[in-house]
Amino acid sequence: MANQENRTLIVIFYLCIGVFALICLAPFVLAVSGSLSTEAKLAAEGYSFLPRSITLDTYKFMFDSKAEQIIQAYVVSVAVTVIGTASAVLVTTAYAYVITAKGFRYRNFFAFLAYFTMLFSGGTLPWYILSTKYYHLDDTLAGLFVPYLLNVFLMYLQANYFKSIPHEVIESAQIDGAGHFRIFFRIMLPLGQVGLVTISLFYALQFWNDFYLSLMLISDERLYTIQYMMYFMMANIQYLASGNSAQIGGAVVAPPLETAKMAMTCLTVLPIAILYPFLQRYFVRGIIVGSVKG
Amino acid sequence: MSKKRVWAVLFLATTLLLSACSKGESGAATENATGENNESAGSGLKPAKLKIVLYGDESARMKELAKTEFKDIVKKEINAEVEFQFIPWTEYGGGKTDLMLSTGEDFATYTDTNYMVKSVAKGLYADLTPYMDSAAADMKKTVDEHSFKAFQLGGKQYAVPVGNKPNSGEFYSVLVRQDLLEEVGMSGVSSLTELEQFYEKALAAHPELVGYASTDARRLLMYEYTDKNLYWQNDFLALDESAQDDKIISWFESEEFKAYTQIMRSWYERAIIPKYAATNTPQLQSDWNSGKAMFWAGTAARPFEGAATISQAVPDAKLTNYFLSKDLPKISRGTYSTAWFVSASAADPERYVMFFNLLQKNQELYDLFAYGIQDKDYTVDENGRLTRLTTDALIPDWLMMNKNFMRFDKSVPDDFIEQYKAWDDEAVISKGAGFNFDNTPVKNEETKMGGVFSEFLAPIASGFLDYDENFPRALEKLKAAGFDKYIAEYQKQFSEWYAAK
Amino acid sequence: MSDEALQRSITAGRKSRLQALRNDSPLLLLALPGVIVLVLFAYLPMSGLILVFKNYNYNGGIFGSPWAGFDNFDFFFSSMDSAIRATRNTVMLNVLYMLTGTFFSVAIAIILNELRSRSFIKITQSVMFFPYFISWIVIGAILFSLLDFDKGLLNRLFETVGMQPVDWYSNPWLFVVILVAANIWKSAGYGAIIYYAVLQGIDTSYYEAARIDGASRVQLMTRITLPLLIPSIIMLTLLGIGGMLKGDLSMIMGVTFLNPLLLPTTDIIDVYVYRTAIRSGEFGFASAITLYQSVFGFLLVLIANKLAGWYDKESKLF
Repeated sequence: MANQENRTLIVIFYLCIGVFALICLAPFVLAVSGSLSTEAKLAAEGYSFLPRSITLDTYKFMFDSKAEQIIQAYVVSVAVTVIGTASAVLVTTAYAYVITAKGFRYRNFFAFLAYFTMLFSGGTLPWYILSTKYYHLDDTLAGLFVPYLLNVFLMYLQANYFKSIPHEVIESAQIDGAGHFRIFFRIMLPLGQVGLVTISLFYALQFWNDFYLSLMLISDERLYTIQYMMYFMMANIQYLASGNSAQIGGAVVAPPLETAKMAMTCLTVLPIAILYPFLQRYFVRGIIVGSVKG
Repeated sequence: MSKKRVWAVLFLATTLLLSACSKGESGAATENATGENNESAGSGLKPAKLKIVLYGDESARMKELAKTEFKDIVKKEINAEVEFQFIPWTEYGGGKTDLMLSTGEDFATYTDTNYMVKSVAKGLYADLTPYMDSAAADMKKTVDEHSFKAFQLGGKQYAVPVGNKPNSGEFYSVLVRQDLLEEVGMSGVSSLTELEQFYEKALAAHPELVGYASTDARRLLMYEYTDKNLYWQNDFLALDESAQDDKIISWFESEEFKAYTQIMRSWYERAIIPKYAATNTPQLQSDWNSGKAMFWAGTAARPFEGAATISQAVPDAKLTNYFLSKDLPKISRGTYSTAWFVSASAADPERYVMFFNLLQKNQELYDLFAYGIQDKDYTVDENGRLTRLTTDALIPDWLMMNKNFMRFDKSVPDDFIEQYKAWDDEAVISKGAGFNFDNTPVKNEETKMGGVFSEFLAPIASGFLDYDENFPRALEKLKAAGFDKYIAEYQKQFSEWYAAK
Repeated sequence: MSDEALQRSITAGRKSRLQALRNDSPLLLLALPGVIVLVLFAYLPMSGLILVFKNYNYNGGIFGSPWAGFDNFDFFFSSMDSAIRATRNTVMLNVLYMLTGTFFSVAIAIILNELRSRSFIKITQSVMFFPYFISWIVIGAILFSLLDFDKGLLNRLFETVGMQPVDWYSNPWLFVVILVAANIWKSAGYGAIIYYAVLQGIDTSYYEAARIDGASRVQLMTRITLPLLIPSIIMLTLLGIGGMLKGDLSMIMGVTFLNPLLLPTTDIIDVYVYRTAIRSGEFGFASAITLYQSVFGFLLVLIANKLAGWYDKESKLF
């Protein structure tokens, strides 16, 4: 009886999750199929799950004479994501360890120091002046990740994961004479691995998806990230589509506004969303192993 | 194994970082080196550095020319090293542009009157008055003088018009799909009744089409609902150009507005304006672009600009401008709406003005900056018609556009060009042209009115909501936002300016 | 004598302080990189908060521009009905988002925890956080093709089964439901991953003991799994409360296209500020209201943090 009940329950569970996952997947399928359609067809017939006729026009429009630049932008994005995530995870976990260290007098002070910045910010102008005139982060690769090395939300997440590690483990290590560094690198990082996997995923996506830092700090094309290139193109396409600048002198461009939105989603979100789950295990292990040895 | 792979990736990334950093430095070094060599150029001017910020994508060809021909010619003519920086369109009129201004960068880019007034109040633009006679002499001949006046504040020149194109009566004409019009057996449109007739007939033939692809028709319908010749200062205020006075008209409180909303309400109910217009305004634009709408608001250039866009979806689309019912003089604000400004901290504002002058100096230079190099980027046939050999945009030609220099594509009929060039001939300069309102005393009121406009007034004006039911409340909100104080201040400033003129 | 005692106690005090510093110094060192980032990119730029009380101009810069007092707040608080409505809408939507979002995230995490097929979990897990990274503009475009009055998929479906078409984009209260649903769709998977990770770190011995006592599966879920998640739920809620007065402009813009007919419920503070201050280029006004949002969020979080402390000291944020 109980077994039977359990089995139906499990089937229902699989169904619930499966259906929700499908709902989450649907817009991506629409986006992929939309990006393979022509602007006119999309306007006339709307979105569909299967493309009615496949054309690469939108991608051609976006890539046109830019292939080299796009590859370069992908390389920069990968570099920023890898370096940024690895260093951000270390900075964040170390900070999270500090605010969860039992018996540390200033842990609340540090926790507050971090939390306060979640609420209050001085706006873009002073940030921009400091970053360009004083820290000289403009047109450097460092400018693309250093400002984001501590995401307070993710730091709190990691602290939460650390808290679930049984305190006895830490205590016994302390009795054995282990210092904070040893405990952090040898015990907390390996035991908090589930948390590390999660926050590294979120960090990776944060760095991959960011265009704001590029927009603010980068004017050298060689340092454009793929997200920024897409943002750039999209802004341009939107402007062209607003009809303010149709060209008189011959060559006419009718920009594919809707399909470009979809293509952009495919080009930026999809690679990382599909690849990262497979890579994350290696990545996290790399960070842990690296930091233990270093 | 996997460990090794991770390290390999990290190593690769680090080397990339290092190479990127060093690249930046070496680039700067070579620039300096070339800057010192060229002493003989530019008729005795000291060498200068100019940075021109443009919005949009930099095409491959533009990148090439910026490093070669463009650079050389600027060096030769005015002894300046010019650098072009492209930033996304979203940063126009704020965003990064304002940040660059606020941190004192040395550059120039373009602006419009609204944005100019605010920026000048913050001290962000350089005063260009002292250089206008010396440095902008050539362009004063090729660009209409009223265009210069539009960018003066308190008698000082803060920006320089980028080009010179016919702009009177903007959006006062109906831009009709002539191909559809002829298809349903009509030859022209001269009144609202005929326009609606056209809609009914075309709808019967093509039920998938929408009528008017916009939510604002106050200008093109003006000839139907009033005898005045209204010219709008902004969303709230208008002038009557047929009266010789300095009276500011409160548009929403006028009888004309009421009459206008009644036409719009009927258009919305008859689906001449589609139902989705209340939500998805961008869709209207793309419907028009993909040939799914029958008419639009017209400008001098739209018959060929618009036809070019639509022709991708409907190859034989033709567009014609019609003015409804009455023959009133076209009004012009006497300006090209876009103008170059120079940042307040620029080391050598005069050189920037010289550069702007260069763009509009003569046919040769105009051709170079707008179209590139002859026979490589474009060809010109015996009739002076242009064929571009590349789709890459250079300095955007809509920006440079000057009716004295611009070249037309083969597909544009001769009579269009004639019409286009003569468009401004009968036009009257608005009595408010050159007046720029200083909003400092009523900043709060203006800001709040913006909120009332987008929530309460715009939907009535577009016919989404009924006037009689909704207007009293909207007016109440508008008054509560301080409209009376605002219009009084506007009237005061305008009267003072008008009397002085 | 007394001098000597004093001397001794001073050295002892110094020693114990030194001792403490030596104990703490590794921790201070570990926190250092994070502190540097916070100071450089958050605290030093906070000098810009002065600008809220100033009339910025280029020549004066941040410190030299003339004082404006509370002038920059005027436009918002002098039209009280708009200010109240915007604040109410923001809080209402945020509370709804928080309740429904937490419920779905936790439910998904608990259910995932019951499943055994590794590959199924892996795939669904990565699919579920996809939506978090699609921009609202794209979601808005897709939603529009569902909800459009004439051509929308839903209304066409209604027509075929003989129902009246619904004018979705003119019903502000219906749109609250749509916004909440869109928010669940976008963020539930993201939240579920956070909670699921907590569950994965948990010792399975809890379950074995309970199972031996004859607890059913549902009982295990509600009596063991759920309580294990409570500290995380509290923490995430506390983090969320600070942002109670902040809203997502890009969401409302993307999904409603700022349709005026929907504003009675969708005019959140950020939208109102966008429609007024930002559109008219008064950025000083806009940052003033951001400060108002922060200060109120801060007060709320102080209260909530206190309450959380009564429940369990460890779940306080600071």
